[in-house]
Amino acid sequence: MNLPEHQTLTESLIETLTWLPFLLEGFGLNLLISALAMLMGTLCGAVLAQARLSRPPTLRRAGHLLTELTRNVPTFVFLYYLAFMLPTEIRLPGGGEIWLIPGWVKAALALSIAVTGFCADNLSLALAAWREGDHGRALLIIPSWAGYGLIIVMASSTASVVGVPELLSRCNTVIAATGNTGMMLPVYALACAIFVLTCWPLIQVMDHLKRRMMDRYLRYPLATARGGRP
Amino acid sequence: MSAACGMVWARLAGLLMAGGLVFAGLFMGAPAGAQWVAPASATAALPGDSERLALIQRRGSLVVGVKTDYPLFGGLNAQGEPEGLEHDLAADLARRLGVRLTRVSVTSANRLQRLEEGSVDVVIATLGDTAERRRIATLIEPHYYASGVTLFVRPDSPVREWSDLRGQTVCATQGAYFNREMARRYLLDLQIYNLPRDARLAVRDGRCAGYLFDHTAIAADLRQPEWAGYRAPLPVVLNAPWAIAISRKERGSAFDRWLGDTVADWHRSGFLLERERAWGLPASRFLKDTRELWSRQQADGTPMCLRGIDGQWPAACRNPAFVSSAEVSGLMQWGLRLRETTGIDLSIVYDPEDRRAFGSGLMMTLGLTLACIAGSLLVGLAGAMLREARWSLVRAFAAFSNVLGRMTPPLLQIYLLLFGIGALLAEYGLRLSPFWVAVACLSFYTGAGVMSALREAALVHRQTDPDYRIHPRRLASIVPLASGAVVAALINVAKATMMASAVAVPELLSVTTTIMAERGNVGVMMNIVLVLFLLLIMALVRLLGLIEQRLVRGAPRRKSVV
Repeated sequence: MNLPEHQTLTESLIETLTWLPFLLEGFGLNLLISALAMLMGTLCGAVLAQARLSRPPTLRRAGHLLTELTRNVPTFVFLYYLAFMLPTEIRLPGGGEIWLIPGWVKAALALSIAVTGFCADNLSLALAAWREGDHGRALLIIPSWAGYGLIIVMASSTASVVGVPELLSRCNTVIAATGNTGMMLPVYALACAIFVLTCWPLIQVMDHLKRRMMDRYLRYPLATARGGRP
Repeated sequence: MSAACGMVWARLAGLLMAGGLVFAGLFMGAPAGAQWVAPASATAALPGDSERLALIQRRGSLVVGVKTDYPLFGGLNAQGEPEGLEHDLAADLARRLGVRLTRVSVTSANRLQRLEEGSVDVVIATLGDTAERRRIATLIEPHYYASGVTLFVRPDSPVREWSDLRGQTVCATQGAYFNREMARRYLLDLQIYNLPRDARLAVRDGRCAGYLFDHTAIAADLRQPEWAGYRAPLPVVLNAPWAIAISRKERGSAFDRWLGDTVADWHRSGFLLERERAWGLPASRFLKDTRELWSRQQADGTPMCLRGIDGQWPAACRNPAFVSSAEVSGLMQWGLRLRETTGIDLSIVYDPEDRRAFGSGLMMTLGLTLACIAGSLLVGLAGAMLREARWSLVRAFAAFSNVLGRMTPPLLQIYLLLFGIGALLAEYGLRLSPFWVAVACLSFYTGAGVMSALREAALVHRQTDPDYRIHPRRLASIVPLASGAVVAALINVAKATMMASAVAVPELLSVTTTIMAERGNVGVMMNIVLVLFLLLIMALVRLLGLIEQRLVRGAPRRKSVV
């Protein structure tokens, strides 16, 4: 609280770095949210993809309709929706045992809807290719899927708006705690660096892998991945 | 009349000093020097068809039930003399009637009983208006005050908005009716204490972000030397309106109307606001808004809030919680009937203020969407051209921006620009607009995707024409190849515009959270906003699809794979 009015940039930077472990802990939560969202979204997306490729027309139509919905729901709004509408705890029927639903789980649920849409679209293409015997083409989903995971990592920062203590929200906590407006730029810049330094190399690896697979397996060139972002 | 009134006052003041008639169990004297200049127009035209009013004038005194256990409103001062805002109101009523004031101490438990048995004429005792109480007493409209909930925080607390508290630990006391509701509306994590004292100490020790309690009680706490420097910076919410009460039998009588007219005059003249300030209460939005509403004039200069032929105030001037569908017409009737029959509280239908806010939020969202789409296309095209520029430095800059744009969350970009860079610019007296910051960052983020799509399309052209360069004049050659990915990127930016709500841009989502925090219709509003956004996005998908078809008519459509 007793900071001088004007700190030099280096002093601000040094002070920012002392908060690095606290911020990285928050980034861990971003990764956890993203992992859970990818897991749930992929499972749901696989179910939808199966439905879309199944024989009964009603099931197929339902698969398409649900994919359409999951593709068009803005996850930011859905995040608010779940944060306000889901209870914070549920009592299991009969047993009386209480399960808490922490905010980060709600955030993962919200993001998983975007993953569901992505996987439903791309898995149904991959499954179709696999059934046609074009295995290489089907496997192309792996780098796309991993790339989408990184987009979800970035989207997980929106959880800060409903009070989940992830990286962005911790940036705001640090700024509020130091009460120093000069800290804002270095703290947010540090958060940017954490995202860029984590995601950029991984995206490079995925792109490289994808290009290798395309060169190897594809008989004709194809468009870039098309899928709704969160 | 004012001369007579003055005489009464002088006599009373004399009596007080001579007899030392101070608080004596039930009956009390009027406070000396509690006179204000306020228009007393209503007294001139007093219809006489109220038994109670006739009785008051016959006996020459108005008996008012007030509290003595509620500091600032009806409490005892250091000398043990009763005083407070409600005592001032009682004194003004007597002054306007030109009679003596007799104050009777009542409690929350017996205030309505005193009315029923007729031992007091009027009760002004922190009485919250509810449908149940309206059955056993006549509650005067308009309301003269509203108690609400606020947060008691440490002097160094950074909290500025209720939304700052989402997910945070907040102290509260057991049994407060608003705890659950506040946790639900503002996503608070409540830590419940048995006693207010424990909760306040927890705030002092930094165990929670603040203490959630009734704002009138917090106002009294803040005046204690022990809590010097402590604050209540948040707007008072969950307002429960307080009403003056008279006997059930007096409903619709001249007394009822005269009291209503007087309270309306208190609002219009600013008397209530002035008394609130005088008692050191935090400025309540209820008084400010009510004064604004009741001072509104029609085109011909007459006040908007005038009683109709039935003696009722117009519905627009009343608290919608106490208006029934039978009393109104049009949209308001429809919305209220829905609320009465199904419990669905569509305040954006029946409340003109909510309706206006929601409409302007919708327009703001549409504006944001259009601006972001235009911005993304511009950034994408400019980025793609710079990426192919002759100078390697420019190319490197474009490539770096692309990575930065794609690899940082747009919300973080918004904070970085608005607060980080904004703090630097503020030193030069420049202020960034949150709307344009949001548009710029979302355009930057999506523009990176548009740029990649354009470059890939250019790559295809380069296979046949190695000198091919992206240029606005050659757009026609590139649109058919890039349109699919560009449209997908534009839909993605439309799905992200509501991020602007995080920096208080009053768009649809942000307006919705405000409305539901105020009305408590969380479920209804969340469902509406989710469906509305879904429809908006689907309409945009359709629209962009049509435009894409127009632009690429004839050109072979590329099927999207993986």
